[in-house]
Amino acid sequence: MAYAHIGTEVIDTAALEARVVTVEDGAVCTFIGNVRRRSRGREVAYLEYNAYLPIANRMLQEIADEAESRWQVKLAVQHRIGRVDLGEAGVVVVVTSVHRAEAFDACRFCIDTLKENVPIWKREVCPDGAFWIEGEVSLPASKAD
Amino acid sequence: MDHDTGPSTLSSQEDTVSGSARLIGAHMPTAGGLKNSLTSGKEIGCTAVQLFTGNPRQWSHPSLTDDEIREFRSTHEQTGIPFLVAHDSYLINLAAPAADVLERSRSAFRGELDRAHALGIPWVVTHMGSHLDQGEEEAVQRLITSLREILEETEAEGCTAGVALETTAGQGTGLGWSFNQLGDILKGVGENPRLGVCMDTCHVFAAGYDIRTPETYRDTIQKFDELVGINHLRVIHTNDSKKGLGSRVDRHEHIGMGEIGMEAFSLLLNDERLMHVPVIAETPDAQTMHRVNVARLRRLAASGAYGIVVTAQLFGHYSELFPGGTVDVLLPKGAVINDLAAALTDLNPALSDLSTHCRFAIADELVDGSAVLREGCTVAALPPSSGG
Repeated sequence: MAYAHIGTEVIDTAALEARVVTVEDGAVCTFIGNVRRRSRGREVAYLEYNAYLPIANRMLQEIADEAESRWQVKLAVQHRIGRVDLGEAGVVVVVTSVHRAEAFDACRFCIDTLKENVPIWKREVCPDGAFWIEGEVSLPASKAD
Repeated sequence: MDHDTGPSTLSSQEDTVSGSARLIGAHMPTAGGLKNSLTSGKEIGCTAVQLFTGNPRQWSHPSLTDDEIREFRSTHEQTGIPFLVAHDSYLINLAAPAADVLERSRSAFRGELDRAHALGIPWVVTHMGSHLDQGEEEAVQRLITSLREILEETEAEGCTAGVALETTAGQGTGLGWSFNQLGDILKGVGENPRLGVCMDTCHVFAAGYDIRTPETYRDTIQKFDELVGINHLRVIHTNDSKKGLGSRVDRHEHIGMGEIGMEAFSLLLNDERLMHVPVIAETPDAQTMHRVNVARLRRLAASGAYGIVVTAQLFGHYSELFPGGTVDVLLPKGAVINDLAAALTDLNPALSDLSTHCRFAIADELVDGSAVLREGCTVAALPPSSGG
């Protein structure tokens, strides 16, 4: 079973890698999704992630398990909720396998499927107001912080 | 609305009933600041509050400051009152024959909607104006044009607050007292999630529609449904009447103490087609008697065969529409997810795209629109994801 976790704590990428790296693996593929300064033409101060955990936890686990069994890899994924500052990771996916092709494919599948399906939302807090991001849509929030 | 003051005829010992999901409240005074309507409403057990967002007897209002808006919204969050509604100024006549009054009214009403939107109030109740003996048919057409234009203009500006047209008593040259005419006005403006109706029991009764017995209540609501549509109801003003059936005079009385009497309110509050619609008392003596009238309405509501209470938990931008992002909705037994979505849209037109925009979940399962809801369940509405 893959490791999947959603929580407020800062993601320790090395610790996450240590969960899945063994001497059998020739490939370690780590994707880090960082909070960046510019988004949709706006300057971002920080992000706030919110999740519907009863579904998000189950779905993230299912996606991670599916990637493991489809590509015969080991996978660990962690997503943050709450406030995440610029330059910090919102999500990290680590995949290890004997060769690189499976690791890349499984990693990409995991992050793409997660973004599409898992009920987690970001709220972009900008100097002049906050925005809810829902899929491709961005909606102004009534509270500024 | 009516600000008659009369003797306190109810015992204030009736103030003991609480703890119901039914949206029940009163028109609360805003003296000392708009937010005071929320704190005093909370104190007397309101789960719905109506307020004026400006002086109802003045044309112009100083625009709300950012501080006022912030204060109101944070008080709303703290008090957790699920449903708010604004009542517009008495001066507004969206059917006015005189061009200058008409323009002034339209501009003032746009202001009402803008203020409601800024404060997070989903509906503005308005009376339908008067023809002032200058031709009733033309007045109806002016009203329709006013409403259509105002809804279009404000929508273009991103305003989500809706208009609830209030049934009137037919006093003087007031429009909209007959269900026929109200139905014509709705049809004239056209279906719009931001257009609904407010039924006032005192006005309906004064206009000649009896609701005092199970038979007359049934006939009147059936007539209302045929001509106006129960599905258009967004709020009910529960007021008893000092004047008799068909008097065409608008004088509000305490619940059960007037010409309408207690049975009508019991029938109304136990009508399962209306149980998710918020009810507001606009009865006299706010300071002393609102507490009593709200408690009385709550007890009447709790007396009948009840439906189920479902908690809706909203995410993304929808989470801002109710305190804490959640609201308890009362639905008939056997209701499904789609019924919940429709009831939520009735409470706030900003939720009209909920069922097309969201997935729904109960606990850790995604469910579709036909999933049957159980008493006490929590339904999460999940907008498109944006994690990663």
